Amino acid sequence: MAKVVPRPELNFWERIYFIEIFKGLATTLGHARKGLTDPAHFPTVNYPEEKPELPRDYRARHRLMKRADGSPRCVACYMCSTACPARCINIVAETSPDRHIEKRPVKFEIDLLLCVFCGYCVEACPCDAIRMDTKLGVMVHDNRADFVIDKTKLMDWDPKDYPVDDLTSQSAPGGARHADALARLQSGSDH
Amino acid sequence: MLDWVIANLPLIVAIALPIAIPLVLFHLLPLLVLMERRGAGVIQDRSGPHRAAVNLQLKSIPGIFNDAVPGLRLRAFGMIYNVTDLVKGLSKEFFIPPFAYPGWYVIAPAIPVMVGVLTPAVIPWFGDMATSVGTIHGTIFPTANGLLLLFALSSLSVYGVVLGAWSSNSKYSLLGGVRSSAMMISYEVSMGLAVLGLLLIYGSFSLQDAVTWQSTHTWGVFVQPIGFLLFLISLFAETCRNPFDVTEGESEIVGGYHTEYNGIRFMLYMTAEYLHIAVGSVLIATLFLGGYQLLPVPGWDTDWLREHLGKVALALSIVTALLLFGFVKLILGRRTHNAAGHATDREVRVREYGIYAAAFSGLAIGTLALGGLAAATLWHNPVPAAGAFWSPVVLTVTALIQFHIIIAKALVFSWLFVWVRWTLPRFRYDQIMDLGWKVLLNVALVNLLITAVVAKLIKEAW
Repeated sequence: MAKVVPRPELNFWERIYFIEIFKGLATTLGHARKGLTDPAHFPTVNYPEEKPELPRDYRARHRLMKRADGSPRCVACYMCSTACPARCINIVAETSPDRHIEKRPVKFEIDLLLCVFCGYCVEACPCDAIRMDTKLGVMVHDNRADFVIDKTKLMDWDPKDYPVDDLTSQSAPGGARHADALARLQSGSDH
Repeated sequence: MLDWVIANLPLIVAIALPIAIPLVLFHLLPLLVLMERRGAGVIQDRSGPHRAAVNLQLKSIPGIFNDAVPGLRLRAFGMIYNVTDLVKGLSKEFFIPPFAYPGWYVIAPAIPVMVGVLTPAVIPWFGDMATSVGTIHGTIFPTANGLLLLFALSSLSVYGVVLGAWSSNSKYSLLGGVRSSAMMISYEVSMGLAVLGLLLIYGSFSLQDAVTWQSTHTWGVFVQPIGFLLFLISLFAETCRNPFDVTEGESEIVGGYHTEYNGIRFMLYMTAEYLHIAVGSVLIATLFLGGYQLLPVPGWDTDWLREHLGKVALALSIVTALLLFGFVKLILGRRTHNAAGHATDREVRVREYGIYAAAFSGLAIGTLALGGLAAATLWHNPVPAAGAFWSPVVLTVTALIQFHIIIAKALVFSWLFVWVRWTLPRFRYDQIMDLGWKVLLNVALVNLLITAVVAKLIKEAW
């Protein structure tokens, strides 16, 4: 059934339209005055020179988290590539030399031209190895191959740009709690 | 040299004026375009044009610019966009659609521009100057039928639109052209009737007489307020500006009459639109706001201005300087805003606004100095006896001041055009016809009738 939208009833002065014109002119003049005298009120950001303050959870280009020794936290479980609706993550796994960890990625590629930046990979990851907090919203390359970023590029980030407890905050392999667990395991006190 | 100039003054002015006035109007165009863009920006809470710039890398001057301090960038408040527009228009291919009628297609855009350049010929830009070598008219083409000529000319501009629309051989163009001509016919009637009431009062078709009447009595807007509004609304319709801009409409008829036009020919149509705004603003200032007269005070006519030239020049220069200093304050506000920001080119921005502030402060001080100079030399000029004449300096300065007064009034109306465009939604086509034929025409007729009766009674009583 069609919904009837009630129209506001116009009174006589509104119907002759003439006075409403002047009200409208006053409104726009107010905006013009504000725009001329108060540049701070513009929401405009002069983009390349000024960058907007992005929210903390803005989904930008991915990065791969590292363990304390610099190897990727990723255990090549394929959870992210399975969750990915765009199928842009390509992982090739191999056996990890660490006996506590089963696998590690030989190849970890993300095709940014396929990626829809949904963030499902971040949510799917069991060990917090992939994040989208780089705030790199603009990616410019001159050929398609450069949009496929590999493991080295994904791990090429500066710890200075991120919170200090980034490396140790997680319970995933390489994180602080994992290190504690490993230490307990090795000392035999876990049993 | 000076003697020769004074001896041949009327001849020089007679040659210079027809060249100077259209040039001045053309120089108003970038200002109008800038006003439109910036006005649209600030009204819609945007910043307006702010990208196109002239970059000067003056790194070679030691002590001022070096590698650490980047060069100069001047954006001239968005004025640079006019240059880029022109370069773009001229560098595009002179394309003629294969289905168009080439001859008419090429000629059509020139007609509205031609009309826009011709119409200033009948407008009085300053009071007539009686000199020892003959009278210099403030009108390029002094005629007793100036208003009739003006209406005849301005009606011609629709031919350019209709011809361009028809010769484009495209249905969207044709629809736009037909709408334009229909609107022209409808609103020309009420426009003429609105002016007729004024003519009854002024008693002349000459625009010079209209200004003279206004200087001895009062401005036309006070004796004909309804006529003023009718004329203003009709002028909006005549120039096809919002809310009457149905001749072009993306949602209905693509680009309207200039759908098939591109490059410099399209820009000619745009030029014509802004020329019409400029000319229409000057016309409404002449008919209703005292033309080149300063204030609506009876008796403050051209001779009064010549007598009190120094005082008026000083007062005007102070007002202008105050306005300029207000503008400098706005610029300094921008400068502070940019200095507090985090832009990577913060230095360049701050320096740019500093230069603007310095330039406009200099302009304001220069204006004050000119006003002071005029006050010192021309404070009081006795009215010359019968048979004698004002000195050429007094005449020239008066003419310049009057010219600036009428341009200032016209700029106010040009802002009104911009202001209304970004305020009102456009009317539907049938609403425009309703308004034109059922409202404006009747109001204009009643206004004319009442004006005729009242004018007759007052003249009988005198």
